[in-house]
Amino acid sequence: MTILNITYQGQSADYDLAMDYATSDGDIRRIAVEVVRSGGARGLHVPNLPTDAFTSYVVDRLRGPDGAQRIYLRPKVPFGA
Amino acid sequence: MRIVFCGVGALGSHALMLCRNLEAELRVIDFDRVESKNLAAQWYVKQSVGKHKAEAVRLQLANFYGVKAEGIAVRLAATNAAQLLAGCELAVDCFDNADSRIVLAEAARAGGVPLVHGALAGDGTFGLVRWDDRFVPDREDQPGQPTCEGGQHLPIIGMTAATLARAIADFVGSGLQRDYAVSLSGVAQT
Repeated sequence: MTILNITYQGQSADYDLAMDYATSDGDIRRIAVEVVRSGGARGLHVPNLPTDAFTSYVVDRLRGPDGAQRIYLRPKVPFGA
Repeated sequence: MRIVFCGVGALGSHALMLCRNLEAELRVIDFDRVESKNLAAQWYVKQSVGKHKAEAVRLQLANFYGVKAEGIAVRLAATNAAQLLAGCELAVDCFDNADSRIVLAEAARAGGVPLVHGALAGDGTFGLVRWDDRFVPDREDQPGQPTCEGGQHLPIIGMTAATLARAIADFVGSGLQRDYAVSLSGVAQT
């Protein structure tokens, strides 16, 4: 089991992803669209989410502080200033 | 401990201000000057307009809080990075572009200086605080992409700056290197 964390429009939520940790970035983005449309990630429900909502998003694969494998789908963060 | 802040725009200036009570010497590197439009989203005051940001934050720390800092108004580059990091035991990256972040990271790794990055999404919804071993700089979708000239993203700037300042304090106090994701719904350790 891998935890997928999705951040969209300032809201962030976890989803238990019943897929392999090595699932491709493209598949992660496609799955995330369906998860958010369906309300599968608690607190993050956007029924009309555009198909390309996560096209420019970054997929990070990190081991979380609890040791679990986590995948983070997040906006790019190019700025500091 | 000497800490060098690289880039004191929106995120860096606020994080620096929140680190003013640390038992540390503060060095600031930024070649840019304060413009009036910066007052909306960066920790500068009207009297700072026209000054180099490095000098302006040095003056504000001294005049408002009696805190000494060193301001260096140069552009960090591969040719001077090692010199600018010399004597520092922590580097803080708040640059606004991937190329500068890469130059800083390479110099920090070469010099054995721990490096923590602070980074913001352009739409004001998300921020990251991440130590160098897990950080990959993101590039803008297009050059000159608008960020926060009007100050509309000040809440996420403040949240991310506070989280970055806490990460710095934890490192100064106990050597901890914790990563965080910052969204409008909260801060999560990652």
